[in-house]
Amino acid sequence: MTTVDPQRRPGLPGLPGPDAPRRRRLARLPRLRRRGVEARPRFAFVVTVLFFVLLYLPIGMVVLFSFNSQKSLTVFKHFSTRWYSAFFHDHVLLSSLGMSLKISLVAMIGSVLLGVALALGLVRARGRLGSYSGLIMLVPLITPEIVTGVASLMLYKGLGVTLSTGTVMISEITFSISYVTVILRSRVAALNPEVEEAAMDLGATRWQAVRLVTLPALLPAILASAVLIFALVFDDFVLAYFTTGVDPQPLAVRIYSAIRFGVEPTINAVGTLMLAGSITLIAAALSIPRLFGRSGGLDLLSGD
Amino acid sequence: MSVFFISSLLLVAALSFGTTDDLGNPRFGSTLDNIRRLAAPAYRTVMFRSLEYAALTSVLCLLIAYPVAYAIALHAGRFKNALIAAIVVPFFANYLVRMYGWSVVLSDDGPVLRLLRAIGLADSHTKILNTGPGVIAGLVYGFVVFMIIPLYAALERLDTALIEAGRDLYGGPLRTFLFVTVPATRQGAVAGMVLVFLPAMGDFVSAQFLGGPNQLMIGNLIQDKFFEGQDWPLGSALTMLLMAVLLVGMFGYLRRARKDEAEASR
Repeated sequence: MTTVDPQRRPGLPGLPGPDAPRRRRLARLPRLRRRGVEARPRFAFVVTVLFFVLLYLPIGMVVLFSFNSQKSLTVFKHFSTRWYSAFFHDHVLLSSLGMSLKISLVAMIGSVLLGVALALGLVRARGRLGSYSGLIMLVPLITPEIVTGVASLMLYKGLGVTLSTGTVMISEITFSISYVTVILRSRVAALNPEVEEAAMDLGATRWQAVRLVTLPALLPAILASAVLIFALVFDDFVLAYFTTGVDPQPLAVRIYSAIRFGVEPTINAVGTLMLAGSITLIAAALSIPRLFGRSGGLDLLSGD
Repeated sequence: MSVFFISSLLLVAALSFGTTDDLGNPRFGSTLDNIRRLAAPAYRTVMFRSLEYAALTSVLCLLIAYPVAYAIALHAGRFKNALIAAIVVPFFANYLVRMYGWSVVLSDDGPVLRLLRAIGLADSHTKILNTGPGVIAGLVYGFVVFMIIPLYAALERLDTALIEAGRDLYGGPLRTFLFVTVPATRQGAVAGMVLVFLPAMGDFVSAQFLGGPNQLMIGNLIQDKFFEGQDWPLGSALTMLLMAVLLVGMFGYLRRARKDEAEASR
């Protein structure tokens, strides 16, 4: 970094280096700045703009027509909240909503507890056993959901368990643990084990060292993954679809049948509420590490 | 610590049990029979159609995601993180609602077809819903983020001095792009293709919402065997077939990646 003249590399992200303040000053003076590595690629910009339009258009449509006074999905008459009040008077949908919230909460708590334990254990476990278990953890992340759904369904049938809300919870926990573990593992690995050893040298028991030193250091990542899991489980459809019983079905399953068998505009209202909820949660998950003074939270999603 | 480790072992055992259970399929026995039934032309058509759709989806995602990731990684300056977040956040919003919104957008009276008609690229008979392109559009919309993230990571890591060197050596913008930028980000592209291909292959919501009876994918068949047809053994056989195809693909990718790594370290 230090051998390269910063003026020649204006396209590089502002890495904090010895000459960072100077580079920042240069950036503020447009005339001093040389041309970038290349002219702005117009084609890529057009594609990007189009991409963002198409990315948000469907979401925008759902939100817009949830406020439509008419049943139509193509003509917007005028603003009304009738579909929202229809939703809040629909007892079936409301009980599904409650069910989904309950499942997400249980799955969140369960998978975070087990996932944290697993992440701590996997990093400390040396040798073949540890690396094999690490590999197996990745399997659910790359398996298509329909396969995990079928596998869970067969497992329950094979064991003779009746499908119910409980089976959904167990499956969701099982497959969410992977997320928590993958997110936390690199954070645990990044921790300096000497800090924990120092705590024990100072008289802490092993459990106290974990509770008072390791866990607080992991707290941002734990909170972020908890919020993420809540949102993912709440939105999950395939796994819930395969493992749910007949008692109040999770909201996503209910919505699937509703969309399949003729569209009710109430779906727009429910969809808008769900979108708002999960977008808030995901945004929160991304910004939690930032609140604790870590930069960026996007690596949560890419897993490293 | 041992408590942690034992709990981890137990969970891993439970997990592997969950995913391999349908292999044994003790309750519904008769294995060869179902495999023979899979060879029926109808199933073969669906299988090849799924492969075709998933492959086309991967390629389309690459073509769309590359310019987007490129523009953001190299030209968005300090808005980079905000833009990537703006892409990622909606993708983690409810999949069903997104697909449903997409079906409204692509419907016969939706904005896309209306625009195409207005500029003369489509006539009143053109349809997107209930066609193969409709399903593929759904898959692309569903999974393109899995392409953008690895590509973005690769492009971000790319040393822009390389591009400059290409230009200094008298490469035109296109030649520099093709012979410097693309090879340097190949691993990200391949990872993205795999990450898109896997879920696209198993998806059944896109074909359900955006396709018709002639666009069924293997996921629809599986779902149908388990919920409508009540033919569980055949459904499990189809699942195993899907899993086998995906495992072969995964294995090929891992071997390839290891070879790349070995070459890079040499």
